[in-house]
This record gives sequence, C-alpha cells and structure tokens, in this order.
Amino acid sequence: MIKLTNVSKTFHTKNGVVEAVKDVNLHVKKGEIHGVIGYSGAGKSTLIRCVNLLEVPSDGEVYIEGEETTGLPLKELRAKRQNIGMIFQGFNLLKTATVYDNIMIPLRLLGLNKREAEKRVDKYIDIVGLKGREKSYPGQLSGGQKQRVAIARALSQEPSVLLSDEATSALDPETTDSILDLLLKINEELGITILLITHEMNVVQKICDYVYVMEDGAIIEDGTTIDLFTKPKNPTTQMFLNTISQRKISDSLLEELTEAGTVIRLTFVGHATGEPLLASVTEKFSVKPNILSANIIELKNGIVGNIVVHLEGNRTENIDVLCYLKEEGVLVEELNHIQ
Amino acid sequence: MMEYISEFNEKWTPVIGEAIVETFQMTIISLFFSVIIGVTLGVLLVMTRPNFLFSNKVVYFILNIFVNIIRSIPFIILLFFILPFTKAIAGTVIGVKGVIVPLVVYTSPYIARLIESALLEVDSGVVEAYTSMGIKRRSIIWNVLLREARPSIILGLTIATVSLIGATAMAGLVGAGGLGDLAYRYGHIQYEVDVMYVTVVILIILVQGIQTLGNFFAARLKRNS
Repeated sequence: MIKLTNVSKTFHTKNGVVEAVKDVNLHVKKGEIHGVIGYSGAGKSTLIRCVNLLEVPSDGEVYIEGEETTGLPLKELRAKRQNIGMIFQGFNLLKTATVYDNIMIPLRLLGLNKREAEKRVDKYIDIVGLKGREKSYPGQLSGGQKQRVAIARALSQEPSVLLSDEATSALDPETTDSILDLLLKINEELGITILLITHEMNVVQKICDYVYVMEDGAIIEDGTTIDLFTKPKNPTTQMFLNTISQRKISDSLLEELTEAGTVIRLTFVGHATGEPLLASVTEKFSVKPNILSANIIELKNGIVGNIVVHLEGNRTENIDVLCYLKEEGVLVEELNHIQ
Repeated sequence: MMEYISEFNEKWTPVIGEAIVETFQMTIISLFFSVIIGVTLGVLLVMTRPNFLFSNKVVYFILNIFVNIIRSIPFIILLFFILPFTKAIAGTVIGVKGVIVPLVVYTSPYIARLIESALLEVDSGVVEAYTSMGIKRRSIIWNVLLREARPSIILGLTIATVSLIGATAMAGLVGAGGLGDLAYRYGHIQYEVDVMYVTVVILIILVQGIQTLGNFFAARLKRNS
C-alpha cells in the first residue's frame, strides 16, 4: 500500500547540509498499522511528509498502491493526495470555522456537490463521536475533540491511507487512549491502512502491527511489535522499552541481594504469567526463585510478560534451571551474577 | 451665544458640509482601489516568499523593494513626485479626481504590508493540512489564508483608513478640498479658529467611529477562535 525504497532527504541550510532522512525502506501492507518511533529530531516528521510528498525526497522512490508518486505532475499528485488522509499534532483546523464547516469546506473545495458533502460530514462526525458539537468552534473544544474533528476531516475524503504525525503527542494519557481506540476502530471497520510517527512507546504498543525505530534519519531496527518488545537489539529500542516497563534492575536493589545466585529476565509471549513455571522450578530444583519485578504488556497482537527473578542457588544448578526454562519456550536473559 | 451659533451655522455649515462630502469621496474612492491593489500586493508578498505556496525569489525581491521605496516617501512629497504619473492615469492633477491617484499610490503599499503581516499570522499547519488533502493552492489562499486572517485584515484596513483620512488633509494642496484643507485654509490662514475646532471635532468623531466599527467587526469574527 505504502512503499518507500531508499528514500533520503537532504536539506541545504545556512549551517550546512542536514541529512534528515537517510536511505529509508519501508513497506506498509493494506489494512495494517505501522509505526515509526524515534526521539525528536530523528527525522520522523520529514519521513512521513515524504509519503505524501509534502517533502520531496532527494533520492529514492515512493509508491502508493503500487504506483510511483515521486515525480508525478502537480495535478496528478493532488489527485493522489486525496487518497492519503493526514492528521497532525497541532490539529491544524480553521479557527474561524465551526466543526461542521471544518469538514465541509475541504469537501466542497475538492468538488463534491453540496448534498453528497453534507451526507459525508454527518457520517464522519458520527463516526468520531462528535454528534451535537457541529456548531462549536475549535476554540471551544478540548484537545481530544479537536483531534477528532481533524480525523473526521481526513476520513471524509474516504482515503485508503491515513498518515498520523504525532497525533496524540499533545494530548493527556487518557485522551491519547481514546484517540488510539478511534484509530483502531477506523482501521478495523473502514479498513484504512495507517502509518504513524510517534515518540511514545504506548502508542506503538497499543495499535501497531509493525514498528520501525528511527535514529539520526535512519531506520536502526524494525520488526513486528511482538518481536521488538521481546527481543529488542538496539540500545535505543531498549531505551524506548524502558519507558513502559522497567527492564533493568536498579543498582540499589542489586546491592540488597545478599544470597548468591543469578538474576535473570524471563520473557513470555502469548500467555500472561510465568508463575506456574516458576512453581515447577521450585519443585524440580533446589533453587529459590525470588521475583524482583514483573509486568505484563498488552500489545495489539498479543501479550508479553516480563519477570525478573533472582535465582538463589549455586551456579551449576542455576544453569540447569536456565536450560529447563529455555526448553519450556521462555526467553531467558542473564542479567547479573551475585557471588 | 445662541446668536453666534446660528450665525456660525449659517455661514459655515454649507462649507463644512461640502468639505465632509469631499473627504468622504476621497477616502472611499481611494480606499476602494487601495484595497484591491494592496490586498493583491500583500497576498503576492506572502505567496512568493521562500518556502511558500508560489515561492519565487525574483518576484518577492522586486515587490519587497518596490513597496519599501513608496513607503519611504512622505505623502506630501509623493503628491508632487508622481505628478506626471497622476496626469497620465487620471488626466488631471487637480481636484478630487487628481488626488485619488497619489492617495492610492500612497495607501496601497501600506495596506500590502498590513495584509502581509495578517497573513503571516495564520498557522502554516493549516496550509500544510489543506495541501496534504490535495486542494489547489488558489483555493488555499481564499479559504484558509484570507479567511483565517479576516480579523487581522479588518483591523489592518481600519488603521489604513485612518491614515488615509490623514493623507486627504494634504489634498487641499492640489485643490481637492476636504476637512483638512478647510481647517488649514480658514483656521490657520484666515484665523477662523472656530472653524478649525469644529473641523477637528468632526475628524475626531470620524476616526473614532471608524476605529470602533473596525474593532467591532474584528471582534465579531474573532469571537470564537
């Protein structure tokens, strides 16, 4: 649906050449939700603007529904853009127009007749849950409501792709959740393919099928959300994961551990806890598993559980335990050895 | 006292009335053309800026210099400076007809700058959003930029109108009459100070009225944003 091949974007500024996007490859299949995560300044915004050619890539090709859009004449590009909705961090609504007109005006400008446009406005105001607020002005709405108007405006063109540029970054956690639910709903019910950029791991966690981690303009790691949450390779990816689940045990906590043994992290995919397994460890071996931290992350396509355990026992026996756990299909990482 | 007032009325009301009409004529006609030229120039100044919808360095550079040059010349000098141009356009350089051209030349670049700053205040994110929807740039100018800038544009035009009224005062120099000319000729040259006072009061009421009206409409458009 969306395919970028070797896309680069270089800016020539007074302070020199800035490579905002470096050789990015990305492929979003129909009906999926993909997310690009990265810190600010990583080049995410420039990247997503390359998709609808608000930024023209310096190099590489952009394909939308199999058709190359880089190099299209302006008229054809405009037609193509109508098939790509976009929502923004700053909502970008007309301040001087009502909710109704904010959705109506673009439709009329795109040549829809009045009756057809009215039908669409009503339909999408209903879908985003803003019925009754048609006559309000953006200034009278909360951030979440403004984003709903922006989503309705984007959807009213009935695009097959939706681009989301940090759409929840200006919202509080609760509102973020409700907007994410709405995005999931339109993905599922209307079959709209979504590409989003964010710096919030919980956005990825909740709605993405596939994730790209971006740093310094390049994609440094990518994979299905489950893979990335269970086997993060890059330090930056691990830092992002730390924002939602503490993956490391603090030094002060380690100092408190006096018994000899090994600190390990167990990662479970698909089932919620590892407790029955730990119970069987105590039955089978003479080590005592001491749970230091545990959490469950609910992803869009599954559940990932993390348990950090201090195995109190001697080294040889601990190694047997690790082998046993691995045989049981659990991801095991040794974090520390305590003498 | 009453006698004096009725005498003053009898003598000066027709003269002042005529001056008011002349001032209104000059202001309204010049404002009409200045708004058309000024808004166009202002829109062009914004559109041709680097990284804007119709980015064009050469056009922007020329317009920018052109506006600055005219804005540097005080009206009283401009009035004489462009006499040949006025003659060519209006066919005459005297009377109300002869002063319209210099007033328009004086006011248009001013309006252009006011429009420019009003348009630059509009959130560029909205322009980006409309571009991303595949909407034509021309439509974006009308439906986003000019629409969103309406409150600032109205306030800007109010300021321009007041300054235009000030400029009409100098129109007397080319025999166009008006309130300013009346105050100068009778009040200053012929020591009829009462005429000057009345004229000044009328001008104050006029300017106050225009400003109040401008503020009212701007506030009404801005109410909900």
